[in-house]
Amino acid sequence: MFEPEEIRKDFPILQRKIGGKEIVYLDSGATSQKPKQVIEAISKYYETNNANVHRGAHTLGDESTQLLEEARETIAKWIGGKSEEVIFVRNTTEAINLVAYGWGLDNLKKDDVILTTEMEHHSNIVPWQEVARRTGAKVEMVKVTSEGLLDQDNYKDKLKLKPKLVAMVQVSNALGTINPIVEMTKQAHKIGALVLVDGAQAVPHMKVDVQKIGCDWYAFSGHKMLGPMGIGVLWGKKEILNKMSPFLTGGGMISEVYVDHSTWTELPEKFEAGTPNVAGAVGLVSAIEYLDRLGIENVREHDKWLTVYGLQLIAGVEGVEILGPRDAELRSGSISFTYTGVHAHDVATVLDSQGVMVRSGYHCTMPLHNKLGVVASVRVSFNVYTTKNDIDRLVEALLEVKKIFGK
Amino acid sequence: MDIYKEEVMDHSEHPRNQGSFDNVLIKDGQVGQILEGRDSNVSCGDMVQFQLRVEDGKIVEVKWKGVGCAIATASASKLSEYLKGQALEDVREMSEEEMVEKGIGFSVNPGREKCLMLPVKVVRKILES
Repeated sequence: MFEPEEIRKDFPILQRKIGGKEIVYLDSGATSQKPKQVIEAISKYYETNNANVHRGAHTLGDESTQLLEEARETIAKWIGGKSEEVIFVRNTTEAINLVAYGWGLDNLKKDDVILTTEMEHHSNIVPWQEVARRTGAKVEMVKVTSEGLLDQDNYKDKLKLKPKLVAMVQVSNALGTINPIVEMTKQAHKIGALVLVDGAQAVPHMKVDVQKIGCDWYAFSGHKMLGPMGIGVLWGKKEILNKMSPFLTGGGMISEVYVDHSTWTELPEKFEAGTPNVAGAVGLVSAIEYLDRLGIENVREHDKWLTVYGLQLIAGVEGVEILGPRDAELRSGSISFTYTGVHAHDVATVLDSQGVMVRSGYHCTMPLHNKLGVVASVRVSFNVYTTKNDIDRLVEALLEVKKIFGK
Repeated sequence: MDIYKEEVMDHSEHPRNQGSFDNVLIKDGQVGQILEGRDSNVSCGDMVQFQLRVEDGKIVEVKWKGVGCAIATASASKLSEYLKGQALEDVREMSEEEMVEKGIGFSVNPGREKCLMLPVKVVRKILES
């Protein structure tokens, strides 16, 4: 284990005081804060190596290209893939859209089934609805139980519809639920479906190995795992990526361009039209190095400990109802709750007045909230710099809600 | 806390003009006309519906209903009080800012702007349709 109080010192923003109080940042599920190592790596890139990649026979261009390709290798190794299978994108949403448009439009036809779940972030629902609208395919959703788990019996039933694709989240951004994706992937493959996993909330907190998961695509963002905004990854199996159409077209992804047609380059550039975010990739590598130094297993232990402590204290506040499973083994990274009689936005505003920053609303999971019969909820989410003190301050701040709303 | 002033809390706990004309039969050209509209905030699911009963170009009665936070509720409640008695044309010519200033009379931080503005958006929608 590591000492989160020590880790906080690496995060310049956490030294900031608002209204004379130290910031309690409990919105890491939306985006994590960045350690100075990451910020410095990005600055250093712009100060010493910046140039465009894959063109221009000059030293800076070569250095930039090398940094980008080294980043690809580091990331590939980190998730257990090959470097040509790592496609740089802006974020998880873009990665899912790449699959939706690059694979879905070509491979889905009328009445084909796309299977997603009620637990998905809108970014793993809306692109599939769009593909369905254009191809005539249908979107089906695996049900969520009242405890906040994917209903495995319902999943088995839905697999009988012979979906062409199963698109599912590894860790729910709204409930924190960890889904049994290894087993679910196996079952999907048995009936011939391909599997896309949204790993946005998993990569910051646990060891991810795409080979062990066995999925066909894995999508994640850098900014939730201590890296910068604007860089994310789509990993995909080489043989599948090779058969897919490019999503965005233009410079950097073509082999030859004629007046009436063009030919594409090889992987991974085929999917990386335009100037890539080299600084972002460099920053993401620095974030991976940071997590590696802490040890990703320790990160998961820290996260689990916070979940146990948080669940216990938050559930003890009068009027609070916890959403999602109560077993910390089944959850990661966040705790969502409602406060009887007080709207989540009002709770969040009161907490903010106490220097405690949380997320309130639907968390981009409207079908899930409808399912649970909850209008909006409050979410507190963690990362490596989150301390016991943060949770204590949250609970103190929650008592203010009662003072103001008398409930 | 600045935002939850006494007036805001009073209106959110005891909202004025809540309800609907759904069971009242008024047809075009008879006693008056009922204009209605609704909207929701996609980030949180708050929903507000407004109904304006209009006679001779004047808003004579207002009913609203919905689900929302304290800010959206207080905003709708205050706006409903203000609209009663106003000439439809006068309200139609008001900018959103004016409607907040005259009709709601309290402000919020940018993070809560959407909650405050939801009832205003609904009324604008009714007047523009």
